[in-house]
Amino acid sequence: MEITVNGTAHEVDVEQDMPLLWVLRDELGITGPKYGCGIAQCGACTVHVDGVAVRSCQLAAGDVDGEVTTIEGLGTPDSLHVVQAAWVEHQVAQCGYCQSGQIMAAASFLDVNDDPTDAQIDANMSANLCRCGTYPRIREAVKTAAKNLRSA
Amino acid sequence: MKKTRVTAGALALLTGLVLPAAGDDSAAPVREYPPGSVTLEEGLANWQTFYEVASHPRCSNCHVGPSNVPMWSGPSYGKTRPHGMNINADESRIGAEALICSTCHTTLSEPDENANRTPHSAPRVASIWGLAPVEAEWFGKSSNYVCNQLKDPQRNGNRTIGEVASHVDHDLVLNWAWNPGGNREPAPHSLALAIDALMKWSAAGTPCPPEE
Repeated sequence: MEITVNGTAHEVDVEQDMPLLWVLRDELGITGPKYGCGIAQCGACTVHVDGVAVRSCQLAAGDVDGEVTTIEGLGTPDSLHVVQAAWVEHQVAQCGYCQSGQIMAAASFLDVNDDPTDAQIDANMSANLCRCGTYPRIREAVKTAAKNLRSA
Repeated sequence: MKKTRVTAGALALLTGLVLPAAGDDSAAPVREYPPGSVTLEEGLANWQTFYEVASHPRCSNCHVGPSNVPMWSGPSYGKTRPHGMNINADESRIGAEALICSTCHTTLSEPDENANRTPHSAPRVASIWGLAPVEAEWFGKSSNYVCNQLKDPQRNGNRTIGEVASHVDHDLVLNWAWNPGGNREPAPHSLALAIDALMKWSAAGTPCPPEE
């Protein structure tokens, strides 16, 4: 089947029910999305399909109905996405394992609400777990990214 | 493209439209019974059958009120509590305003009875996941309450009981209730029996049990 990831079309020979996360990591070598729980409880595998956050461990390859974007395709080192830039500014990451999922979730969230309250940030980032407990910095980074999006 | 897609889904939910069950051949025919052909006693018994379905966690967990917070209740959850992760489906009832339900309850391209075998993972169907309309709030409500609610056009999408039955029949999220997978307890009886009970209850004049 053909699958487009980060603007590049790939032909992959996989079972229809292989989770997208497996396709990305094992077939295409795109390892930004992480395996955490495998049951949509942690958010480490979050990617975008047509700009909307989705848990790639829960989406079968045969059910992908749009273009996939991973953390590798959200921005580049020379041109960071506004959320990535805010993450650097606030030095959010500790161990970093959950962070690609956090950033993809935040980018999708800010796309539909670029002026969230703290409560809305807390609520909507609650489905992405961070064992290091970087939540206060995540909240500040999301606020900074939102401010920069509004002034862009 | 994304916002257009999300909005279309939200509108379908908000207007109470039945989402298309593309390729679904599992729909059972809705059998009509002539008005008066079912006795009052039988009508009440059939309502009880339907209430057992409607009040089961597989159904009622998503029939919540204006909090827009789905519930986790039933044997597989241990104790009754709100959906984890601070999930809120918002007024769209599909989470379109922030975190859309289908982020985790991903959408199958076609019905697959083996899609939900893993315990604890987010259930998924070939339709966008979401709450029932807020007018259909009945989590924790009595048999008398739900009975009067279901036949109230203001709260049932302005449907006849036959149309309610057909709606139940064709909604893929509702169909999932009898094949929830994992360690989730299925809704009682069967989809066909639940629909037949609705139609017999209708033929009996939609009698409601007294408030307990």
